[in-house]
Amino acid sequence: MAVFFQSLISGILIGGVYALIGIGLTIIFGVMRVINFAHGDLLMVGMYLTYFLFRLLHIDPFVSIIVTIPLMFLYGAFLQKFFINRVLDALPQNQILLTIGLGLVMSNTVMLAFTSDYRILTTAYSSSSLRLLGLSISVPLLISFTITLVITAVLYWFLYRTDTGQAIRATAQDRSAAQLMGINVKRMSIIAFGLGAALAGTAGALISPTYYIYPQVGSVFTLKAFVITVLGGMGSIVGATLGGVLIGVVESVGGVYVGSGWKDVVVFIVFLLVLLFKPSGLLGTSKD
Amino acid sequence: MKRVLALMMVLTVAVMVPSIVMAKSIKLGFINSITGSEAPIGENLSNGVILAIEDLKGKGVDVDLIKEDDMGKPEKSMAALEKLATRDNVVGIVGPYTSATSNADAKMAERYKIPLLIPAASKEEITRQHLKWTYRVSATTGDYGSILLDLATKLGKPKTMAILNENTDFGVSAAKSAETIAKEKGIKIVFAQAYSKGSPDYRSTLAEVKAANPDLVFMVSYAADAILLMRQSQEIGLSPMAFLGAGAGFSVAQFAAQKEISNGVFSSTQWTKDAPWGDSKAWFDRYVKKFGKAPTYHAACAYESMMIMGQAAAVSGDNREKLREQLHTGKWNGILGEVSFQDYDGYQNQRKAQMLVEQIQNGNFETVWPAQFAVKKPVWPFPGWKK
Repeated sequence: MAVFFQSLISGILIGGVYALIGIGLTIIFGVMRVINFAHGDLLMVGMYLTYFLFRLLHIDPFVSIIVTIPLMFLYGAFLQKFFINRVLDALPQNQILLTIGLGLVMSNTVMLAFTSDYRILTTAYSSSSLRLLGLSISVPLLISFTITLVITAVLYWFLYRTDTGQAIRATAQDRSAAQLMGINVKRMSIIAFGLGAALAGTAGALISPTYYIYPQVGSVFTLKAFVITVLGGMGSIVGATLGGVLIGVVESVGGVYVGSGWKDVVVFIVFLLVLLFKPSGLLGTSKD
Repeated sequence: MKRVLALMMVLTVAVMVPSIVMAKSIKLGFINSITGSEAPIGENLSNGVILAIEDLKGKGVDVDLIKEDDMGKPEKSMAALEKLATRDNVVGIVGPYTSATSNADAKMAERYKIPLLIPAASKEEITRQHLKWTYRVSATTGDYGSILLDLATKLGKPKTMAILNENTDFGVSAAKSAETIAKEKGIKIVFAQAYSKGSPDYRSTLAEVKAANPDLVFMVSYAADAILLMRQSQEIGLSPMAFLGAGAGFSVAQFAAQKEISNGVFSSTQWTKDAPWGDSKAWFDRYVKKFGKAPTYHAACAYESMMIMGQAAAVSGDNREKLREQLHTGKWNGILGEVSFQDYDGYQNQRKAQMLVEQIQNGNFETVWPAQFAVKKPVWPFPGWKK
């Protein structure tokens, strides 16, 4: 039983970070209907930012998100303004090619600049854990989970309570209608991509104390983000949050009871089942 | 006198002709994981080959090297081999890096009848399928397991062992070999599981290992998963008699640098800077000077493979069949000791490797086993986690 709860707890904690990655992707998709295949690479850029802030300026990885979030937001806004905007009306496959290409440029530039070495960010608490009722809870994961909760809460407040947030959601619901209502759709797109990039970068910052960093690390997370987003319903933020935690738990518990080599299989079976019975995802609304 | 002069001239020409032929550069191929998730270790292979090309030049062998990146993916690797064998028309190929890519390429080499020299992949089956064109410098996973268990049974009396391996060709092969050898030595396997690599969370699996309470924990993983596994072992409080790592991820400098989690871990390897063969120490220093970081055994294996391929091709010229014969019958002596390719224990064209065991002591790899090659005494049992 202890093993079950152990895996459940690790699953929920890691799921929080997955949720963050998924939310970023889902916002981008919701607003622009562009599937961002460079999402994992944005996360990788966030990881490197965190790493160098830590190594050169000795800023704690969890504190460094104060710097990482605005930087990544600007970077995302830049990508949107100069690249993605040009293909918004193009064929979906062209949009996919563009984002894959951007991702490749990012990972290979980082590899050229910093080599393919694995970088390990070791903090004093990297492998410390709390003991609670016979379970061990990883301290860095617990901190990152708490930060994820705060960020998600702020994000909900922004999207549901502020004018800009509502404008973003309106754009996501119906782009032309939003434009007719006087919403600056182009600007919303820039903000949305910036937000998505900032969230991916934050997720990168939050897992860097417990994971490892290398230029191609993004591909692991692009696939995960994609599964989470589709599972939760493309464009649904609540869905992505739920999807992230669900994938975390399924991975962790499946790893124990089915075998850790099989945990991806378990994840994809759950994924297929959800799509079979609810093709639009857990909280997706089936339109267009 | 004239006759003598004429004879001398004829002789000089006769000696010169092959040397003119030799001066022509030899076209060789090199397949490696230059990008992709295996790139960090792939870099070691690339660097090893760079040094080999330099040294071959010093020996008067000019190599025209064509490099191909397979990103660690078998299908890309097969395409690379096909390109090298047909379009580039190279005479022989060194590479690729991983077991999965090597196993795929071995079959392709057979189809295109091109000598393939595998530097660092250790899956047993690669040289156990009666392939004529595949030769292997790398030790096998059986070698990795047996030297570690040899050390463990000589230093202590372990009764149980847990095996945790990644579910790649290399991981599965190493786990299977370790299981067989453990049974021979009377060690009971209390836990055996394959995990899928790159996952950020192994805690639940490690909790299970801890619940099984094994004397030995045998792990097989590429690159950085080793760090994650040990970090999370510390978190969970897993503390067996010894942690045994089968090369790869446990033998990279970044792992050793994490003193808190790497201290006391044993790792089997094919080469260390203290290796008693050739000029290992000088070669190590030269590598560090040129590339600014310490080489893993992969670099040494790739270096030696390219040296062998280059020297063999210098003799055989542009003929693939002759090159294969050279590889089959030749003997070389370099930083891996004496290398020849033999048939034994169901293997074909396989180097019989003398393995070494390193232990990480205070962030440094120290060669601790076998006793005749050791430079430091092994620390046994596992000293426990620092609080």
